[in-house]
Amino acid sequence: MDGKTALLDIDHMTIAFGGLKAVNDVSIQINKSEFVGLIGPNGAGKTTFFNSITGNVSPTGGGIVFDGHSLTKKRPDQISRLGISRTFQNIRIFPKMSVLDNVTIPMHSAPSYSMWAAMLGLSKVTRQQKETEKRALEFLSDLGLEAYKDREAGTLAYGLQRRLEIARALAASPKLLLLDEPAAGMNNDECNELAELLRRIYKNYDLTVILIEHHIEFVLKLCDRIYVLNLGQLLAEGTPEEIQSNPEVVRAYLGSRRTKQ
Amino acid sequence: MLYIFSIIVFVCVHGIAVSGLSLLTGYTGIFSIGHAGFMAVGGYAAVVLYKNLGVPFLLAVVLGGFIAVIVSVILGYPALRNKLEGDAFGIVMLGFVTVVRVAISNIKPVLGGAIGITGIPRLSSVWLVILITAIMVYCMRNFIKSDYGKNCMAVQQQESAAEMVGVNPLRTKLRALMISAFYGGVAGGLFVFYATFVSPMSFAEAKSNDLLAAVVLGGMCSLSGPLMAAGILVILPEILRFLAVWRLVFYGLAFILIMLFRPDGLFGYREISFKWVGRLYHKIKAGIGERQKRTGRG
Repeated sequence: MDGKTALLDIDHMTIAFGGLKAVNDVSIQINKSEFVGLIGPNGAGKTTFFNSITGNVSPTGGGIVFDGHSLTKKRPDQISRLGISRTFQNIRIFPKMSVLDNVTIPMHSAPSYSMWAAMLGLSKVTRQQKETEKRALEFLSDLGLEAYKDREAGTLAYGLQRRLEIARALAASPKLLLLDEPAAGMNNDECNELAELLRRIYKNYDLTVILIEHHIEFVLKLCDRIYVLNLGQLLAEGTPEEIQSNPEVVRAYLGSRRTKQ
Repeated sequence: MLYIFSIIVFVCVHGIAVSGLSLLTGYTGIFSIGHAGFMAVGGYAAVVLYKNLGVPFLLAVVLGGFIAVIVSVILGYPALRNKLEGDAFGIVMLGFVTVVRVAISNIKPVLGGAIGITGIPRLSSVWLVILITAIMVYCMRNFIKSDYGKNCMAVQQQESAAEMVGVNPLRTKLRALMISAFYGGVAGGLFVFYATFVSPMSFAEAKSNDLLAAVVLGGMCSLSGPLMAAGILVILPEILRFLAVWRLVFYGLAFILIMLFRPDGLFGYREISFKWVGRLYHKIKAGIGERQKRTGRG
């Protein structure tokens, strides 16, 4: 990787919570249009790593540069508007809002009209709302959620809520999409379906994706490149083939596969 | 008639304050146990502007609202920036209303101390108050239905996710606080110019409880519910005047029952709709038509 083309450049980042180093001196470069996997045992610091990119946790050392902007001093909403979007490990949709409203929120996070226009109910407000709703419907139909648009989001089935979260993340029109265990709690069929979906949106929306996932087959199938974290440190980096044959990775992580099936 | 009028004015004034509080507590999820503090600030400011500085009545009421907004920023910006939420912010507001009451009670020169200010002309006529209430509630409804209102709901329901899709939570919360403070301030001003006197006890902690009660009983994320509750909470004690001693017992009981059976409030996440009237009408019409057909055949 040469540093010039990297979309996301994480340079010797350390995140310490008191004495505990959740992420320790990790450097990662991600290029535009890459599908990158991030794996590691529980407590390896994967989610903390995501939280630092999205601005929820500020790194205690090192720097993050995205698309030419340093992210270390920015708020989550500013980072979102630079083009980074994410889903959460534990689903965080807006439960009491309609499915449609869930997807429109990212599009009007900073409304284009003034507060006064909103209060007076000017026609441009409704026009704007109609337009965002139309665009939101496109996202929903793309993810097969159109039939549920008026349902209260919290009443959707688990798999659909996951999808809704992805739809909402896409609605923020990101350049970089961070997916935190999107396949958690899904069976094999659902996993395959999700992999198909992710591949499709990755192509259609011209995204760069970082994927955290415990289903190894899922990661191997989707990703061009994989990083392995263990106890906050970068253990290995490479193509799926290289990772599978890396003895250190097999010992730290993949070794547990023996007991499966 | 005067009695009915005064009840209407109280309902309207409460309605304005409650619709402001509904945005703050019901939609944005920030508890305010001291909203009457803004009414006090707005009310006193309007009177002082009118009496001491000769500002015309309506302008004084509006400026009172803006002074309440300034106070809300001084109070809310540090509190919200440091992520005080839920109970913690509620306590800040409880402190605020108490500070306002004690401060006013001890400023004798202009504000009249504990006795308050008397001899204020009755300039809020019933029709004017109704008109202003209608306009303000209409504006609030538009705001809530707009993207700004949706952002408020997003912050209330899942702040971290709202932040992650680009909503600035601090700005959203502060905006809600400022608008609700303005509503509180204007309500206070209108009230004072109807009651013709104002004392520190006009807007004490008990008034805050009434406002919060209306929002909680009326329902979260609803505007019509709290408005209706505000009306009931003003009118019911008048009807049940002979049970005055038991008023607080009823309040407590109502709260417990609502929290048990309708934790989101009576109209939580819904608005009162009159579509059923139309449906009923069509049903009756269809029923009559059918009967006519049958009798005609028979």
